[in-house]
Amino acid sequence: MRARGSYDDETSDESLLSGAAVGDDRAVLAFVRRYQRRLFGLALGIVGDPGMAEDVAQEAFIRILRHAAVYDVRRGSVATWTLTITRNLAIDALRVRRGIPTAPEDRVFLSLVSDERAPDDAAAMSESVTQAHSALSTLPIEQRRAIVLAVMYGRTVAEVAILEAIPLGTAKSRIRLGLAKLRDAGAMMEAP
Amino acid sequence: MSRVPERSEECDAISDDLIEFALGTLSGRSRSLVLDHLETCAHCNAESVALADVADTLLWLAPEAEPPLGFETRVIERFRGSDAERRVVRRRRVSSFAVAAMLVAVLGVGVGVVATSQGGAHHPSATQRPSTGRLTLDGHVLGEVTISSGNPSWMIMDVDTGKLSGVVWCEVTFANGRSETVGKFTISHGYGSWIAPIKASGSDVRSARIVNEHGTVLAQTTFTT
Repeated sequence: MRARGSYDDETSDESLLSGAAVGDDRAVLAFVRRYQRRLFGLALGIVGDPGMAEDVAQEAFIRILRHAAVYDVRRGSVATWTLTITRNLAIDALRVRRGIPTAPEDRVFLSLVSDERAPDDAAAMSESVTQAHSALSTLPIEQRRAIVLAVMYGRTVAEVAILEAIPLGTAKSRIRLGLAKLRDAGAMMEAP
Repeated sequence: MSRVPERSEECDAISDDLIEFALGTLSGRSRSLVLDHLETCAHCNAESVALADVADTLLWLAPEAEPPLGFETRVIERFRGSDAERRVVRRRRVSSFAVAAMLVAVLGVGVGVVATSQGGAHHPSATQRPSTGRLTLDGHVLGEVTISSGNPSWMIMDVDTGKLSGVVWCEVTFANGRSETVGKFTISHGYGSWIAPIKASGSDVRSARIVNEHGTVLAQTTFTT
């Protein structure tokens, strides 16, 4: 039996959420420390503004922690659940100020659509993330770019068309075909 | 393995929008049309869930970034709900999420909101305090509803049902006893987040609930005056 408040890097996400659900501050802190870089990074990638990204990440944490008691492992991993909530909040926030689509930060965007990863990055990635990256890298580069813009950065199809300087129909086709290929390869993309 | 439902001509008509719907970037009338279709089409429901699953998995590829100094402290304090932090958070939320939600709901979701916000003829006052209630069923908390007190009002609903998926309807009951269906939205893998306008004063709303296609109440909350 784990003593109340005894959490470390080996503690499962589910255990941290269980601790948070019963009001254990140490579990809350451990959960936030574990996910803050990932949630803030995702929010920042989508909204592009550090202040707004912090608002989004904060709100995501609050919702996740408030709902910790009703988290159901059957819906998927805690990690995917938290990222999905963050992404949805970021897109909601982005809708308000949308008007002129902006291109994502070049370095990050290029790393996502590239075929290769730096050795240290590859070592740090989990097997599942590596699989997801591998599946993405099987797509033609134009489909990969459209998918990353739409999925990772929350850009609409119309914005993808503008950013990629392609007709709207082409943007739709690239995203649709890319997602379909990834969906068909779903067996090798189990979430962490 | 379950059988793949049949595809119809209507499916072809909304296939492009279904992608954006699954990615969460579809808004306005297009979103409403897709929701209408999903009510009756098991094929597109399955397709939407599959595409959303792909998108969810890809989120793992998002790069990490170091949040601003003090981020974790602010999250913890906000979660603890200290009075001082609540005031700060309320200002922050009004400046981003609440105003965002109001603008999205009142001015029409998405495109053009930045431009129309300067007109701002109908959005409710940010000084009015919203009401928040917990959606429950049999004592279990399944989500949260926030309703502004302006007229017209707006509603933010977050549900976290654990296992429910599909289209649900949101109903509200006003102080005069009148009930109204505010709209519908989709819950995917148990989670759904939704914003909608209410063409009445939010302070008149006495209860809110989500129901399924059979009218069965899935979760509800009441608001005190």
